[in-house]
Amino acid sequence: MKSFLKRGAWLPVLLFWACVVWTFLGYDLPPALLGAFLVTALLYFSFYVVENSLGWFVLRRTLEALFTIFVIASLTFLLLRTIPGGPFDEEKALPPEVKANIEAKYGLDQPLLTQYVIYMGNLAHGDLGESYKYVGRPITEIIADAFPTSIQLGVYALLVAYLLGLPLGVIAASRHGTWMDSALMMAAISGVSLPSFLVAPLFVILFSFTLGWFEPALWEGPSFYVLPMVVLGIRPAAGIARLTRASVLEVIRSDFIRTAKSKGLSERVVLFKHVFRNSLIPVLSLAGPMVAGILTGSFIIELIFAIPGLAKHMIQSVTNRDYPLVLGATLLFSVMLVVANLITDLLIAMIDPRVKFS
Amino acid sequence: MRRPVTFAFITLAIIFGMSLGACTKKNSLDYGLKVEETLRINLQEEPPSLDWNKAVDTTSALVTLNLMDGLVDYDLKDPEGALKPALAESWESSNNSQTWTFTLRKDVKWTDGKAFTPQQVIDGWQRLLNPGTASQYAYFLFSVKNAQKYNSGALNDFSQVGVSVNDQGQLVVQLEKPQSYFPYLLTHHSTYPIRLDLVKKFGDRWTEPENIQTLGAYKLKIWDHDKAMVLERNDGYYGEKAKIKYVYGYMINEYSTAMGMFDSGKLDFQQSVPANELSVLKGKPTFRQAPVLGTYYYGFNTKRAPFNDVRVRKAFVYAVDRSQITKIVGGDVTPLSAWIPKGMFGYEEGVGLQYDVEKAKKLLKDAGYTDISKFPRVTIGFNSNEDHQRIAENFQAQIKKNLGISLEIQSEEWKVYLSHLQTDTPSIYRLGWLADYPDPDNFMNLMTSYSENNHTGWKNKKYDQLIEKGASIADKEQRRHIYEQAQRLLTEEDAPVDPLYSMVSHFLVSERVKDFPVNSLARYPFKGVSLQ
Repeated sequence: MKSFLKRGAWLPVLLFWACVVWTFLGYDLPPALLGAFLVTALLYFSFYVVENSLGWFVLRRTLEALFTIFVIASLTFLLLRTIPGGPFDEEKALPPEVKANIEAKYGLDQPLLTQYVIYMGNLAHGDLGESYKYVGRPITEIIADAFPTSIQLGVYALLVAYLLGLPLGVIAASRHGTWMDSALMMAAISGVSLPSFLVAPLFVILFSFTLGWFEPALWEGPSFYVLPMVVLGIRPAAGIARLTRASVLEVIRSDFIRTAKSKGLSERVVLFKHVFRNSLIPVLSLAGPMVAGILTGSFIIELIFAIPGLAKHMIQSVTNRDYPLVLGATLLFSVMLVVANLITDLLIAMIDPRVKFS
Repeated sequence: MRRPVTFAFITLAIIFGMSLGACTKKNSLDYGLKVEETLRINLQEEPPSLDWNKAVDTTSALVTLNLMDGLVDYDLKDPEGALKPALAESWESSNNSQTWTFTLRKDVKWTDGKAFTPQQVIDGWQRLLNPGTASQYAYFLFSVKNAQKYNSGALNDFSQVGVSVNDQGQLVVQLEKPQSYFPYLLTHHSTYPIRLDLVKKFGDRWTEPENIQTLGAYKLKIWDHDKAMVLERNDGYYGEKAKIKYVYGYMINEYSTAMGMFDSGKLDFQQSVPANELSVLKGKPTFRQAPVLGTYYYGFNTKRAPFNDVRVRKAFVYAVDRSQITKIVGGDVTPLSAWIPKGMFGYEEGVGLQYDVEKAKKLLKDAGYTDISKFPRVTIGFNSNEDHQRIAENFQAQIKKNLGISLEIQSEEWKVYLSHLQTDTPSIYRLGWLADYPDPDNFMNLMTSYSENNHTGWKNKKYDQLIEKGASIADKEQRRHIYEQAQRLLTEEDAPVDPLYSMVSHFLVSERVKDFPVNSLARYPFKGVSLQ
């Protein structure tokens, strides 16, 4: 069992990469591949949870998550109705009978408590209602249409962030104090400080209009994906690089590294086998908040690159006071965050034996 | 040790094999259309609804206009916006414009081959007015006899609403009171005929490409929600067939992104251009502009001091030079001192108060404000937007310079602003009005005492009477005279509003496009457009 756990980790990881490469090449993700990834990942996590008797921990976290989401739903529901301006306030004011018909149709004439109970009841059945703006379109359908694109963009950006941030951080730390370290950290600080609404147009002008390497907008294939994912990933990448550097420097000075070195292990082995693995822990714990950052950051990116994702709905629905869509998008993003945090915690526990769940 | 690894690789190989079998290249958004037979436009957003009884926005209207025809249509070549036949061959009024009879074409077919019938028009109107449909544009037909009662739920029997088919198969409409411009309302998509069989069969999904049937110059081929829309020429169209085979609609919201695509030749039509880009774009062969039937104005809250005094209102109107504001807005908008915008029947250049600082100062003194420091605190309210901000700042500066009064300006998010207009109207508020149909009544009605859009609190019986009279008269010269009187009352005598300018629309059309419709109604039917 133990050995399966150790070796089996490669399966979901490999499948994950297969999914990424597949979609990146501009192919529809075959359900078999996605299913295989999800099933193996879930199985693997279940094995892990059972093996380490983490059942109660996961159960408790799930219950906590459900409660969190319930609170978020309630607060969003109430806040939406306290902000001035309703979904059907338009520049051209409506005659009272027309307004009354609309309110009756969407149940807005009911007392707030009744509306709340009805909404929560429907939510429990997975019914998120219909959009006010996109007349007659169920929220679930809007989400189903837009969400995969957002996930795709988010995953790419996350990969860019780690694949760029980790090596740069390690390099900077291993060359600690040299010009290279300073240059990399300088770049990282600029990366964190530059807003994406500035970086995006600059990249478009440079890589698309001047050099002609990538497409400036839309979401139809590899040459369309590169710019948005890099722009979205570059900020978290800079953060990761800085954190990795700090973390590696701390680990390098610890006793067990000195022991490893005095055993006569080569510099490379020490760096990658001992230092890197241990300095990964704080970096990995950043994944949860980073998912949040990427989700919120994707609004600008989706807008600038005309990507048909969900983040755009998230903002525009508030402007339109499209209550059901605001709630649907908010809930989905909350679920994503909660799940991302849970996964992060479990991953950290896998890597760091010192972490104990209680 | 080795077995799990082997197991893993075998599984992987099987899954990859399966996937390769089911491997499909993701649909690229060009759908295999040829550039030389496709007009590529930017819709700017996902059309909120193609259900023409329910749609309220301009994007949906643009698409619907190309998919459907109404009973009548605008003659876009006519400078005063006359009507021409569409689904109705001819129409006439009797009983002093209170009864209208439409003779409908008999050769019109929907895209599934079914014939167009007068009953489908009645079905559409019934659905529009049905309280359960909850259509925002239901009020469009409120002039029809008993329509308002039916919409409010006071009347349940639709047969009592004034629309029916007579023995000759003509559509007969009875109105509540005389309305000389009634046919204009039928150019609007909310009054188009409806196929109830489709609505019943598919529910809200009847507007999806696989379900929808239309009868206009184009038909809906593809609707990839939030991504793109493709219209295809309807070869069974009863009128002159469209020249371009496909219309491809992108949904790119961000102007700079759309502009990038336009410049690299991937887009043929971009509506709306931000004001600060106008100076760059002007003079380019792709740039077009047309006056729009729209008024940009400031309203005064006449219920509160200081604007409950007509002298103060007039002083403020006199004290502001409109040409400074139009310079700021740019793009050739025209200063407007009367109420009806340029390009519409009833537009009067000489009506309204013109810039005159001396008169303004005197009026303010007459009103008792000899000591400006005692002038109450006054706020200009507007919705957050760069252009509105610049206009408000200029207005503020002119009042400061000419009258010595310091105004405050306050911007609010759109929906917050709208709700404040209803509950706590700012002393001076900004709004605009775009014509629903090109008749002066659409503008003049706005300031009647019973209009929901009159936030000034100003009520004038004489004005109300003039507007009601104007709507009922068919004679053009008589109407023009009535509207001139009403406009003088509104903008010279009582001045609850300060009209600022008459709007202009700007857009970009690529050079390969010929005969693109340019008109004051911002209507873009693509059937007459061709590609080079």
